[in-house]
Amino acid sequence: MAKPTTIRIPEDLLNEIDQFVKELKLDRSAYLREVLRKGFSADKQDRLLMKYVRGELSQMEVCQELKWSPWDFLAQLKARNLSLNVSLEDWIDSAELNP
Amino acid sequence: MRRMIVDSSSLILLAKCSLLEIVCGLFNVFVPTAAAAEVASEDLVKKYPDAALISGLISKGTITVQSPGSAGFPLPISLHQGEEEALLLAMKLGKSLLATDDGKAIKAARFLKVPFIITPKIVVELFRLQKISFKKARSSLEKLGKIGRYSPEIIADALVSLMEEKYGKTNNHKDT
Repeated sequence: MAKPTTIRIPEDLLNEIDQFVKELKLDRSAYLREVLRKGFSADKQDRLLMKYVRGELSQMEVCQELKWSPWDFLAQLKARNLSLNVSLEDWIDSAELNP
Repeated sequence: MRRMIVDSSSLILLAKCSLLEIVCGLFNVFVPTAAAAEVASEDLVKKYPDAALISGLISKGTITVQSPGSAGFPLPISLHQGEEEALLLAMKLGKSLLATDDGKAIKAARFLKVPFIITPKIVVELFRLQKISFKKARSSLEKLGKIGRYSPEIIADALVSLMEEKYGKTNNHKDT
């Protein structure tokens, strides 16, 4: 169930939204809900991936938060031109294989 | 044969490079229960060939799925269940190498003094041990950069190491 909330929006942005909604004959509330949902999803992804890059989250912690598979995760890194959070030091300190 | 504990990040990258079966031939490979669920669930097997390969190796018993049980102490760094179980399994089984491609899991491994290895190093080492050809090693490293999203710095360093291995040895590696 949708709950009401109040936020302050700059007048020029609100005017632009109102004009756009009118032109496209959209339901204003439904449109704002959709924009908020899309924006929140994109922002959440960006912020969690930045936490991953900084080594604050692991790959699977990000996957769990965003409901991604590890394959989705790699695809998203590629889409954003990001690298794994493994450092050069990790490469240097990797053990040797002694089967 | 030594034990290697592999978490979901390395399982996928090794599968992508077609190196998982070679590693399984050299080591007793263990995967924690939670990591197996992360990469080889029924849904994932239908969608990703890598997941199907991992699932097949588990079914054949080439990869052993094992739960480490509870830690009995709080880990210094919070991790997801599969990554945490991989660390605990490496500690509980002892004399094990942890394969992981996650920076945070590596931090925890360092803290707990668990020896770890990342996939580019596995590639170079497999070449050193004459288990794969130079061509295969190079193409695997390139794949780890492009698909595996390894940083260009690490891939460049790994390629240099590979070249050093090649020119430090007689040229008797397999050519496939």
